[in-house]
Amino acid sequence: MAVRMGFVIITSRCIDCDACMVACRAENNVPLRSTRNWVKSSGVLGQFPKVRELFQPGNCMHCDNPPCVSVCPTGASQKRSDGIVIIENSKCIGCKYCIVACPYDARFANPETGKADKCTLCLHRLEQGLEPACVQTCLGKARQAGDLNDPNSIVSKLIAKYPTRGLLIHVGTGPNIYYIDEAVPEIPEGK
Amino acid sequence: MSKVYTWDQLFSRRQFIKGTVATAALGVGATAGIGLLAPEASLGTDNPAQTATKGTKFVTTICEQCVWRCGVIAKVENGVVKMLEGNPNHPNNLGKLCPRGNAAIETMYSPDRIKFPLIRAGARGSGLWRRASWDEALSYTAEQMKKIKDKYGAKAMMFNSTDNLSQPFFEILLKAFGTPNYGTQRSLCFNSMTTAFLYTYGTPQPGTDYSQCKYMIFTGRNLAEGISNNETQEMIEMVAKGVKVVVLDPRFSKTAAKATEWLPVRPGTDSAFFLAMIHVIVAEKLYDEVFVNKYTQGFEDLVTEVKEYTPEWAEKKCEIAATTIQRIAREFAAAAPAAIAHPNWRTSNFVNSFQTERAIAVLNALMGNWAQPGGLIPDQEMSTAKLGVLSHPPFPQAQGIRLDGVPWQYPLVPLAYGVIQTMRDNILSGKPYEAKGWLISRQNPVLSVPERQKTINALMKLDFVAVIDIQASDTAYYADVILPESYYLERYDGLIPIKNKIFIRQPVIEPLYDTKSSLMIYKELADKLGLGEFLPYKDEMDLLSQQLKPFPVSLEDLKRAGYYEVENLKEDHSKDFEFQTSSGKIEISSSIMAQMGKKAVPTWNEPPRPKEDQYYLLTGKTAQHTQMFTQNNRWLLEVFPVNRAWLHTSVAKKIGVKTDDDVVLESEVGKVTIKAYVTEGIRPDCIFMVGGFGHVSKGLKSSYGLGASDSALHKTVTDPISGGSALSETFVKVSKA
Amino acid sequence: MELTWALMIVIYLFTAGLSAGSMITSNLAFLYGGKDFERVGRWGAYISPFPISLGLGVLLLDLGSPLNFYRLFLTLEVHSPMSYGSWAILLFTVLSVIYLYLWLPEKYQILGHFKSSEKWKRWLAKFMPFLSVGVASYTGLLLNAAVRPLWNAPLLPVLFLVSALSTGVASVILVSSLSPWQRARHKELHALTKADAGLIILECLIIIIMIVMARLSSVSVSMAFGSLLYGQYAWIFWFLIVGLGLIVPFSLELMELKDKIPVKWALTVTISSSFLVLFGGFFVRYIITYAGQTNGWF
Ligand SMILES: Nc1nc2c(c(=O)[nH]1)N[C@H]1C(S)=C(S)[C@@H](COP(=O)(O)OP(=O)(O)OC[C@H]3O[C@@H](n4cnc5c(=O)[nH]c(N)nc54)[C@H](O)[C@@H]3O)O[C@H]1N2
Ligand SMILES: Nc1nc2c(c(=O)[nH]1)N[C@H]1C(S)=C(S)[C@@H](COP(=O)(O)OP(=O)(O)OC[C@H]3O[C@@H](n4cnc5c(=O)[nH]c(N)nc54)[C@H](O)[C@@H]3O)O[C@H]1N2
Ligand code: SF4
Ligand code: SF4
Ligand code: SF4
Ligand code: SF4
Ligand code: SF4
Ligand SMILES: [Mo]
Repeated sequence: MAVRMGFVIITSRCIDCDACMVACRAENNVPLRSTRNWVKSSGVLGQFPKVRELFQPGNCMHCDNPPCVSVCPTGASQKRSDGIVIIENSKCIGCKYCIVACPYDARFANPETGKADKCTLCLHRLEQGLEPACVQTCLGKARQAGDLNDPNSIVSKLIAKYPTRGLLIHVGTGPNIYYIDEAVPEIPEGK
Repeated sequence: MSKVYTWDQLFSRRQFIKGTVATAALGVGATAGIGLLAPEASLGTDNPAQTATKGTKFVTTICEQCVWRCGVIAKVENGVVKMLEGNPNHPNNLGKLCPRGNAAIETMYSPDRIKFPLIRAGARGSGLWRRASWDEALSYTAEQMKKIKDKYGAKAMMFNSTDNLSQPFFEILLKAFGTPNYGTQRSLCFNSMTTAFLYTYGTPQPGTDYSQCKYMIFTGRNLAEGISNNETQEMIEMVAKGVKVVVLDPRFSKTAAKATEWLPVRPGTDSAFFLAMIHVIVAEKLYDEVFVNKYTQGFEDLVTEVKEYTPEWAEKKCEIAATTIQRIAREFAAAAPAAIAHPNWRTSNFVNSFQTERAIAVLNALMGNWAQPGGLIPDQEMSTAKLGVLSHPPFPQAQGIRLDGVPWQYPLVPLAYGVIQTMRDNILSGKPYEAKGWLISRQNPVLSVPERQKTINALMKLDFVAVIDIQASDTAYYADVILPESYYLERYDGLIPIKNKIFIRQPVIEPLYDTKSSLMIYKELADKLGLGEFLPYKDEMDLLSQQLKPFPVSLEDLKRAGYYEVENLKEDHSKDFEFQTSSGKIEISSSIMAQMGKKAVPTWNEPPRPKEDQYYLLTGKTAQHTQMFTQNNRWLLEVFPVNRAWLHTSVAKKIGVKTDDDVVLESEVGKVTIKAYVTEGIRPDCIFMVGGFGHVSKGLKSSYGLGASDSALHKTVTDPISGGSALSETFVKVSKA
Repeated sequence: MELTWALMIVIYLFTAGLSAGSMITSNLAFLYGGKDFERVGRWGAYISPFPISLGLGVLLLDLGSPLNFYRLFLTLEVHSPMSYGSWAILLFTVLSVIYLYLWLPEKYQILGHFKSSEKWKRWLAKFMPFLSVGVASYTGLLLNAAVRPLWNAPLLPVLFLVSALSTGVASVILVSSLSPWQRARHKELHALTKADAGLIILECLIIIIMIVMARLSSVSVSMAFGSLLYGQYAWIFWFLIVGLGLIVPFSLELMELKDKIPVKWALTVTISSSFLVLFGGFFVRYIITYAGQTNGWF
């Protein structure tokens, strides 16, 4: 089956340390005041002393029906056959249409290049057989990436075993980050 | 006479380094480029070795963004460090870097690095400097130190340094110089824990077996934010496995957010909780009788002592329900010996913290979790490889007593720990004698010691201050000489053995500027002081080779692999149950305490409480910054831009503020303005601030004046037993700004 | 707050609508008004190329890589409104310039005057309304395609179209009554005013339907419209758009139509009401562009 790259993010394992954000900045030369990924907090919920706080890391969802791609007037934004949504810089005119079109606010205008910018799933690292930088550094092993179509991948095994949810499913973008909120005692072996 | 520069000129962002390295360096993401002293274009780049090497290479080294020393693999492209990744073969981090470790590149390429030695050219603290050569700066420093020694004796010179890989050589320098005055960060950090465990188990810092532990109690230990990389990871695994994790903390830390149970204990009353737990465990005979009989002493005294510490009594003190205490005591005992009351770390929150830590140490002993799966791990010095040592002449006898009161005022504090805040106080008081000079390496007492103004006053009072740092820290700002150390990615430090492996910190690129490793700064300073024979090495390679002598491996091989695994060094558990206490047993009743005429078993000491309109001021770490150090790192500022004062919703309502409104906090010793963060995640009688913000050095361009420093508010309160600085005994008033 | 699409885009959306509106006004006046409405036809033609050119210029300035602009015209991406919209606008701008040329008095037609000119003009007048409707509603489709709770309102293109017509008419009224020569006659103004009043009613209706539809729709959409009705944009919506942009000019126009305005005030009122229509039209684009970005999905 064709490769279909995506993420699994286990929120229960995230401690909101932001190592993933700094690693992405370093790996991808992300300029200050912009970011390709994030960790959102629910804020402290409930009333003292019965409170809780949840953390939800995220980045581009590499959607199945990416509005960022369909609106792009030059064909710079593309969905590759392996599912990764990329921007071909030479074609990008910096109209920022894709940025406003992304319901997850996953894109930004890179002031240094003048182009739209976003998570590439660390394509250049994948090509070298490495994990994406954010996945590699994650202290909680909360971030996982891999081939959703390969039953032997970590992501597929996790999805098979635990209930998952997606963000803004009703919008119809078909996001490819699968969130697991349950405790995951062990990260399965796989690639 | 060279020109005089202000910080602004010294750290101008308009100047860019020329040449390949620099242009490429700009690509690393430092948009503003690398600032450099203006006039002579070649300054800082005149290092001939700095010509860029072509191609990509990976170099293994050790992180220095905090004290944890994680293994790093640096990716270097054409002489520019592009990416840092965790070394999977390093036990301290298991292949992962925390946010601060990931941000090290930005610290190195920061425009605010000190790029060459500086000598003060205006009044102290005026921020006027001139460039000096290394020879001049070191000669000047040595001259001043000798002058002080000749006139007032070696003891008038103080040496301070916070834990680091080259610290042993700093210690040699100060001992060779002949001063007894040595200031470490320890009394600001973990003195209450280390002394309590030392006097109970004979070892200051036992480990914890997270992987098999079934029940964990953290008392303020906040692994999600006070990151100890591998332990933080192990804590997350523990939570994921559904292990019971109980967190005692007056505020809802991120660790509390992950834990099974958060107990918002009243500050300073943790020992009531643990004494009551012990009460239940003793009363219900839930302890490990065999272990207690065999390995401990003083159990009977404990039984008597805890009789009155019922859960109901404790509830009134610590405001945790008696039934909860009872339940936790039973659950904890049921999980034993795979149950740990964590020894914690920066636990010197109250004068009674030593008692809290003693109670914790004893509670563990009752569970018989020593050297058991899921329990406390004895120190494994036996199983750690021994480095080669350099021989040097015997040290001169240190003349005079120590300024920090150890041991004459603090008989129980180990010499190696000291009491830095008392040292600071005695600089000001001039008692028992006048201090004259201060050499500070890798430490920022202006922000880390309570009562910032006092520390600044102490610096202003001295004849001579020299600081070794990588950036213009708040302390360096008040120095006479700044000796710039190369950043960790540009230098060697002493080797580090962890169990059967020996790790190396090595330069991944040549120094960007005219800086040196502290190994060489200490060495060359020793030479100028006429003490060269005490640090008998030519250069770093020479030193490391000597350290490596006992092992059949060359330095080159070590450098290539990043570590060396010592063969046939098996884990040795033969001494696990030989406790280094006077009785040779785990001392539930401490013989040293008894000798000193103090209560020998853990006991209750009533902590002070804030008055009606006052709040406890709590301090702590955030995952995104290190101590008083990384706030100037722009990558880290992206993820944690400023500290705020946590206020409970009811308090915010009372004074009429919302999140991000300015509030004024006022203690007996200081007053600061800071933004509010309104939350349900803190006790209504507490206000919490992350430490390390509120920098006063204008040389820290990105963080100068950002946020507020709690050190400006902290009173200096010291536990007479452990010497720990009791930070949470400062109470503040809060009002709308 | 810093927004991705800011004032530049608002200007672009506004000017494109304005040009389309004035073009249609001119076309209709020419086709159905005959000699009586010559001035309207002329002014509409004179106006229409300029706002959209300004809009295009501003859009170019807003691009992150303006030198890559030509990339827009190397391809036609059928899913991207901006792609086909750019082609449409390019065509519109070129044709509107030709159309303007054909309206110039003969002595100014320096590139030559052809016998067939009148034929061309008629042909263009018949064709341009379709292109104009396309351009005007394209600005709505542009936002529609970006999946955002305010922008994906199905009536947005219709709203933008009606608003474009209204601003087009208003611009012709404004310019033709301000101009020292070829000033519109009373009859012409009367017709235009009537048309504009009708468009305002239509616009109000569409806005009401949009709000009702939104409030019955998902929470996100409902909340997004909530930000217009009582949230952070309420004062712009109620005061600048509903008040100054719709009710006031409508009332003034009504009074004009009923001849309730004293003659010495007539010109001022005409100018004010048409200006207010333009003003309101601008803020319709503004509020939709801004509020659309500050509201996300839940
Ligand atoms: N990211 C990051 N990690 C670090 C460091 C860093 O600077 N940044 N520093 C390293 C160092 S040197 C150290 S010492 C460790 C420190 O690591 P920890 O000791 O785990 O961390 P702190 O944040 O200092 O702990 C303070 C906690 O104690 C709570 N507290 C205050 N008063 C009381 C009290 O009376 N009772 C109880 N139960 N809790 C109280 C505070 O609310 C706060 O959450 O972290 C290490 N790791
Ligand atoms: N209010 C408050 N005060 C506290 C604490 C708190 O939580 N709140 N925590 C306490 C604790 S746990 C501790 S351990 C102490 C720490 O107290 P300190 O040790 O004084 O603080 P650090 O920030 O670790 O100081 C590090 C200094 O070393 C410099 N530095 C960094 N890297 C290098 C290097 O490679 N070479 C050299 N030469 N210098 C370098 C930095 O620029 C900085 O100036 O603070 C204590 N004080
Ligand atoms: S998350 Fe946004 S940027 Fe990424 S593919 Fe989906 S729509 Fe495009
Ligand atoms: S900014 Fe670039 S990638 Fe995005 S829509 Fe415009 S041309 Fe396409
Ligand atoms: S996959 Fe790479 S580009 Fe995407 S968020 Fe992670 S580190 Fe950034
Ligand atoms: S690195 Fe992992 S644990 Fe840390 S914030 Fe990112 S996702 Fe969460
Ligand atoms: S814990 Fe973080 S900052 Fe400290 S040594 Fe490890 S990676 Fe570096
Ligand atoms: Mo510490």
